[in-house]
Amino acid sequence: MTSEPSLTSRRKMLATSVGVIGAALAALTVWPFWRFLNPQAGSAQAQTVTIDRSQIEVGAAHFFEFRGHAAVLVQPAPGQFAAFSAVCTHLGCIVTWRAQEQIFFCPCHAGRFSPDGRVVGGPPPRPLPSYPVTVTGDQIRIG
Amino acid sequence: MGLKQRAFDWLDLRLGVRDILQQNLTHYLLPRNINVWYTLGATLLVLFSLQFITGIFLLVYYIPNTEQAFASVQRIMNDIPYGWLVRFLHATGSNVVILVLFLHMLSTLYMAAYKRPREITWIFGFLIFLVSLAMSLTGYLLPWSQLSYWATTVATESAGATPVIGEAMIHFLRGGPAVGEFTLGRFFALHVMGLPLIFALLAGGHLFCVRRIGVSRPPFGPDYLPEAPGTSFHHTDHSGGIPFFPNYVVKDLMVIAFFLTLLAAGAFFAPQLSLPPEAFEPADPFRTPPGIKPEWYFLAAYQLLRILPNEFLGLVVQGGAVAFLLFLPFIDRGPERRPGRRPLFLGLFIVGLAGFLILTVWGYLS
Ligand code: HEM
Ligand code: FES
Repeated sequence: MTSEPSLTSRRKMLATSVGVIGAALAALTVWPFWRFLNPQAGSAQAQTVTIDRSQIEVGAAHFFEFRGHAAVLVQPAPGQFAAFSAVCTHLGCIVTWRAQEQIFFCPCHAGRFSPDGRVVGGPPPRPLPSYPVTVTGDQIRIG
Repeated sequence: MGLKQRAFDWLDLRLGVRDILQQNLTHYLLPRNINVWYTLGATLLVLFSLQFITGIFLLVYYIPNTEQAFASVQRIMNDIPYGWLVRFLHATGSNVVILVLFLHMLSTLYMAAYKRPREITWIFGFLIFLVSLAMSLTGYLLPWSQLSYWATTVATESAGATPVIGEAMIHFLRGGPAVGEFTLGRFFALHVMGLPLIFALLAGGHLFCVRRIGVSRPPFGPDYLPEAPGTSFHHTDHSGGIPFFPNYVVKDLMVIAFFLTLLAAGAFFAPQLSLPPEAFEPADPFRTPPGIKPEWYFLAAYQLLRILPNEFLGLVVQGGAVAFLLFLPFIDRGPERRPGRRPLFLGLFIVGLAGFLILTVWGYLS
C-alpha cells in the first residue's frame, strides 16, 4: 500500500506545497525584521544638502554629513566649488584639508589627494568620489 | 544516496542522531487518551521564544533612560521600519503568554498532574508563572509613558501595606521614595537580563522533569486507574500509545497556529487592548491620569486589596494563595486524580476559579 506510485507522488506534492508555503511565510516573517535592522536603507539616495556661501572661504574646506557619510566642500579659486566624499578610498579614514599645501591628507597612512580628488600620493587606490555642486546666489547645493 | 542522506549518516555516526530522534519523536509514545490540553507547553515554548526575539529586537533601539526612553519607543513606533510590528507583537505577546500560562496551569491543576511523582515539575512551573508576572511588571515600566509610570507607582505602593518594613520595601523596589530613574534602571536590568536568566534556568528544570518522568496519563475514561506509588524511580511510559511524531506534533502545531493567529489578530487589529491611550503620553510625575488600573491579570489581586477592610489582610490572603498553590503537591497527597472522585478539590477548584474571574471583572468595571 505504501509504495503505490500515485501515493508517493501525492506525498511529494504535499511535501512540496508545505515547503513552498512555509518558505513564503518564513520570508514574509523575516522581511520586517530585516528592514527593522536597516532603518536607513533606500532613504539615502534622494538627499541633497544646501550650504551657505559664507561658511566657506577661498582656499578653505567645509566638512558636512552627506548621505550618511562625511563629505567635504572646497573652494580652490573664488566662485569655483567642488564636493567630495571625505572617506579615504584606502581603508576608510576621514581625510583632512591642508590649507597651506592645498591637498587632502589622510591621517591613517599618509594618503594624499589633490583639490579635484585625484590621488597624488600614498596607498589610496582610487580618487575621492565627487558630487555635483550647483550654486544659486548665496546657496551651494550638493547632490 | 542523496546529499541529505549522507549528511544525516555523517552526523548519526558521530552523535547517534537517529537514536535521539527515534527516542524523542517516533518511539516517544503518549497515552492513548491524551487530550488537547497537553499542547499548551509546546505553545508556551513558541510564544516565549517570540517574546525573546522581539525583545532583543526592541533592545536595538530602546534607550533605558528617563529622558530618552519615551522618545526612543516613539521612534521605534514611527521611524524604524516595522518597529510598530515588533513592539505590538511584544506587547500583545506578553498578554497571550500570560493567558496560555493560566490555561496550562489550570489544566494541569484540574487533571492533578502535580501529584507524585510530578511535584518538582509543578514547583518549577509555578515559579515560571511568578517570574513571567514579574517580567510583565518590569517591562511595563520601560516605555516611560503615563501608563507605565502610574501603573508601576500603584503596584509598588501596595507593598507598603506590609507592617513595619512596608516603607522600606517600597523604597527598595523603587530605588528611592518615588518611581524615577533608579526604578527604570533596576526594572530594565531585571526585565532584559535578570529575569530571563532565571526564566531559562527554571524552564530547563521544568522540561527536564517533564521528559525524565514522562507525561501523565489523563485521569479520564473507563480504564483509568490511579498509579500506585512506587518505591523506586519509574519513567512513565505508555506502551501501545500514540507516537509523538507525527500524530501529536500535528495537534501541537494546530494549537500553536491558533494562538499565533490570536496574537496576530491582537497585534494587527486591536493593539489598543495592550496599549491604551495613556501609553502614548510621556510620563509626568506631577499628574496622575484618572482611573489608572493594572493589567488584566493583576486586576483580581488589585480588587481584593480594595474590598478587604485592611490592606495588610489583603496581602496576607494573596501571599497565602500563592504559597498554597506553590506547595499544593505536598498538601494534596492522595493518589486519586479523577476529578469526579475528589469533591473537595473540585469544589475548591470551581470556587477559586470563579472567585478569580469575578474579582477580575469587578476590578475592571469599578
Ligand atoms: C529576553 C527577553 C525579553 C527582552 C530582551 C525584553 C525587552 C523589552 C523591552 C526593551 C521593552 C521596552 C520597549 C517597549 O515597551 O516596547 C519591553 C517591554 C515589555 N515587555 Fe519585554 N522583553 C523580554 C521578555 C518579555 C516577557 C517574557 C514578557 C512577558 C511575559 C515581557 C513583557 C513586556 C511588557 C508587558 C512590556 C511593555 C510593553 C509596552 O508597553 O510596549 N517581556 N521588553
Ligand atoms: S585609510 Fe587613508 S591612507 Fe590608508
